[in-house]
Amino acid sequence: MRQHHPNNTLREAWILFMFLGMIMINFPFIHIFYGDMSILGIPSLVVYFMYGWPASIGVIWLFVRRLEMHSLAQHQLNKNNSHER
Amino acid sequence: MRVIPAEIIITVFLCYFALIFFVAYYADRRRKAGHSLLSNPHIYTLSIAVYCTSWTFYGSVGKAATTGLDYLPIYLGPTLIAFGWWFLLRKMVRVSKEQNITSLADFLASRYDRSAILGAIVTLFAVFGITPYIALQLKAIAKTLDILFLPLKNLDEPTSNLISYLPGQVDSALLVTLLLGAFGILFGARHLDSSERHEGLVVAVALESLVKLVAFIAVGVFVTYGLFNGFIDLFQQFYERFPDRSYLFAVGTAEVPYTKWFSLIVISMAAIMFLPRQFHIMVTENANEEHIQKAMWRFPAYMFLINLFVLPIAMGGLLLNNGDTTQADYFVLTLPLAADQPWLALLVFIGGLSAAAGMVMVSSVTLATMILNHLVMPVILKLKLRAQDLSGILINIKRLGIIVVVLLGYFYFTVIGDSYALVNIGLISFMAAAQFAPAMIGAIYWKRANKYAAIWSISLGFAIWGYTLLIPSFVRSGWIDNSLLEHGPFGIAQLKPLELFGLSGFEMYTHSLFWTLLLNLGTYCMVSILTRQSEAEKIRAAIFVDVFAGQEQPDERLTRISKAPTIVEFIDLMSKFIGEKPAQTAISIFLADKQIDHRGSLNDQDIFSLKSFTERTLAGHVGAGSARIILENYLAARGSEMENIFDIFGSVTIDGAISREHLSVLYDVSQLVSSGESFQTKLDRILELLTQQFKFDLCVIRFLEPKTRTLLVKSLVGETFNHFGKSERNLSNETYIGQAFLSNVAMVVNDSDELEKPASSAIIQAEGITCFAHLPIALEGEPVGILSAFSRSGKGVFTSEFIALLENIAGQVGIAWRNEQQIGRLLQVREQEREMQIAKDIQMGLLPASLPVMEEIQVAGLCVPAHQVGGDYYDFIMRNDGRCDMVIADVSGHNIGSALIMAETRTFIHSRVYDIESPAAMLHALNDYFLKDLDRSDLFVTMFYLQYNLASRQLIYSNAGHNPPLLWRHQHQLIEPLDAEGLIFGVRKDVNFEQHSIRLEPGDMLLLYTDGIIEAEDSHQNLFGQERLEKLLSEEGQTTPQELIDQILTQIRLFSGYRHFNDDVTLLAMKILK
Repeated sequence: MRQHHPNNTLREAWILFMFLGMIMINFPFIHIFYGDMSILGIPSLVVYFMYGWPASIGVIWLFVRRLEMHSLAQHQLNKNNSHER
Repeated sequence: MRVIPAEIIITVFLCYFALIFFVAYYADRRRKAGHSLLSNPHIYTLSIAVYCTSWTFYGSVGKAATTGLDYLPIYLGPTLIAFGWWFLLRKMVRVSKEQNITSLADFLASRYDRSAILGAIVTLFAVFGITPYIALQLKAIAKTLDILFLPLKNLDEPTSNLISYLPGQVDSALLVTLLLGAFGILFGARHLDSSERHEGLVVAVALESLVKLVAFIAVGVFVTYGLFNGFIDLFQQFYERFPDRSYLFAVGTAEVPYTKWFSLIVISMAAIMFLPRQFHIMVTENANEEHIQKAMWRFPAYMFLINLFVLPIAMGGLLLNNGDTTQADYFVLTLPLAADQPWLALLVFIGGLSAAAGMVMVSSVTLATMILNHLVMPVILKLKLRAQDLSGILINIKRLGIIVVVLLGYFYFTVIGDSYALVNIGLISFMAAAQFAPAMIGAIYWKRANKYAAIWSISLGFAIWGYTLLIPSFVRSGWIDNSLLEHGPFGIAQLKPLELFGLSGFEMYTHSLFWTLLLNLGTYCMVSILTRQSEAEKIRAAIFVDVFAGQEQPDERLTRISKAPTIVEFIDLMSKFIGEKPAQTAISIFLADKQIDHRGSLNDQDIFSLKSFTERTLAGHVGAGSARIILENYLAARGSEMENIFDIFGSVTIDGAISREHLSVLYDVSQLVSSGESFQTKLDRILELLTQQFKFDLCVIRFLEPKTRTLLVKSLVGETFNHFGKSERNLSNETYIGQAFLSNVAMVVNDSDELEKPASSAIIQAEGITCFAHLPIALEGEPVGILSAFSRSGKGVFTSEFIALLENIAGQVGIAWRNEQQIGRLLQVREQEREMQIAKDIQMGLLPASLPVMEEIQVAGLCVPAHQVGGDYYDFIMRNDGRCDMVIADVSGHNIGSALIMAETRTFIHSRVYDIESPAAMLHALNDYFLKDLDRSDLFVTMFYLQYNLASRQLIYSNAGHNPPLLWRHQHQLIEPLDAEGLIFGVRKDVNFEQHSIRLEPGDMLLLYTDGIIEAEDSHQNLFGQERLEKLLSEEGQTTPQELIDQILTQIRLFSGYRHFNDDVTLLAMKILK
């Protein structure tokens, strides 16, 4: 039962995203932006964080939505169960 | 540049504080009125933003202007960890709510065996760790006040005394310090609250978070779009003016090496979770777990927004100040001032004040709580001061704690304040919070982690922290001689605080992070693996780690329930040890002059004194040391599986003279007995405990095998013996063990040279046993086994007190044995229950699923079984020719037999209904059928059978000893019982079942019922009776059949007081429509 619980899928996703996040904001990944590259005059590393950061917040938002939908479904299920009884 | 008049600054300053206070006061009022503002997830998110202090508000820009992007990791780390809040934070919240945990120190102490030492250590370190951070806030407020009042002053000078008529040594920072302390007291220590929740404080902090965000964005927009033409313009101008400063936008530079970047991310991840104030806001003050979901993305979004304009402001500041970075920490404030925007500057000042004040207030309240609970309280308990005198003092101690904490911050500020930038001071505190990380995470994910590991790892972590960060900060301020940094203590280069053990080439934060976490985590893991937990600690660990076990999904929203102990609990506890009557008497004397409400709730001060009172009372009976252990453990165990330990523990008769050591063994045994382990494990562990504690060479538990009348070894711990131990023992008075069992008296031989039984002496002497004892394991006076203990090393071990202890332990083994037997029986019963459930399902399936809807009549039926299986039955069968048959029957008994008879009845009727025309003939046939069946059982069946013709409205019916149905005549508003002669089924052959006929009229209501209705009892054994039923029918005759049945059921439930019905209740009602 337990390994099929949606919370566990989410937990795996969380660990994966944390790991990915840790890589994407650290050396050597951010070394890509080292140097004088710029986009419209703004240094590339600054642009990376200016867009990457909100994007990661968006990922959390999606993650939270899954959680909410899941708990909503669970709530509905409980309600149905109690009706059957 | 225009100077803002001092009066305006002071007025705004005071008005803003008044506003905050009003909001906090309003929130407290709302909470008291039951409309908590904390039920709003926005407030939770905003209050978490207390993370962003004046360090964020002023320091980030300073950092961005001097070293570059290394202000960012402080916010990237928390964004990353916010992913995991649903698992990590929610677990902390759940545990804290269930255990009524009030602070970080409480959390750790509570998890690790309720260790008072750990609580004190954590508190002490937290205070020292947070002090620099508070200093930072004070510095920010004092400096910004300076800038506002004296904008032309050189900022490198110490903060000045702005209010000229105060004595010279009182500067504005001290005034601000005291003001913030006063606010902490107002919001956090007006009264003692056992849950340590401060609604007003949280709402005030949330408001402050909003203000600082608005202020910062306002100044950001002003600089970016007012002073310059947007982001791109800023960058262009900056590159043109300072082409050599492009390092400010890069990582991996000399200023911001990748190692530092990584360290800052890790440190800030720990800080957001384990700074005491963050713990308080996120965990203790959490009102609803679902708020975490919202905060998971809203809080990172908040951090993003407040950081969005850091770079533009920094660049703008550098551009307008010709690249001068000396004022960089205060660009946020100086830019609007320089641009002649006094109101914007005031807004910024208020924003920065909010950021600083929020942090100082929450931190000081949180730390004061920890100081009170973990430093002061244990001392008070130890000194055994009289409780009555104390309760009033406690709140004052807490208030004093708040003041002490802010003053410590002030002290650090005056010593260090001017030699460090804002961000660097803050990082010292962040690193301190990181020292709690291993013990905190282990607390909820690693059961093996134990008290010693937590104590040592945190202590070591803090020692290294102090050495590698705090001491260098003292050195830099000139407080300690610089040679310590240059050459190490006593000239030992290996111990240089910034290059510990020769690790050089890293800046101080990475260096400190590496050493503190390595030693902290290493110690934590090693000590946990190498040392053992006590039974109590194992249970604590399980409570924390398995908090979600078995309830993966929180169905009900957990709102906090304060688990303050009630009077009843104290009485219960005392009753267990001193008897019910004396306990009641003692309590009533104690309560005589106390005010209590009817629910037995006490205020916190009274609870405290009741606790000491209980302890004193118990001490009078079991000795002071024991009383302490008992009470502490009992309060700790409340709500856990350990609670029933005290039922066992309390059943042991404790002698006042029992030693502490013995008591703790007894307590451990009780825990084992009530633990969830298997019976075998329990026995093995008890024997292990005995051999270890009392240095026995062998301990054996034997139980009687009833068939062979021998004692079989169930558990054996100790050295192997050649001649005995494993073997069984016959029951005879020839051996000591046999005599112990048969006479149910402990047999003790304190010197094996003086053996009286030759049958035993040979073996015992051959084995070199010097003394031994056999203790009967008895239940209610009946021996069921023997607990034996052998020693090879001493004589005269078994004193009478020791034997009493062993007898107690044997008694507890007996309880374990009985529980084991009961569990076996319980499993059997459960199996039976399952069968009954199946039978019930069959039975309910036999009743008509729905009754037909017709123009001519309305029908409704209901059957409520009294037990799991009922014997009642009703049915409705529609014939093809416009007639319908209705039947109601009652089979005696409530077992599977009656359900089967019912099933048979139904099968019979359904199969024969089309060839048996009349009710009388049907009853006759059924009687014949049942004669042979019912004869063999004790069951009997009554039945009423009727047939109704829809067209002619003619009703014919017969009765087999059933309660006569009631007919309510619409025309006359009268009730007629429908009776007909007839015997119950299965009594004799050839019964004459009378058949009557009656014509019904539209509006008539017919009610068939079983005797469960009229025999329903109230609490005084009065029967519901036919009269009440008739009265109900005449009142409700106008309604529909369904309403009638519902009404009858309601009335019966009201009558019987909602108890289970004694008998099945079955009702069938028919109303004639036309």
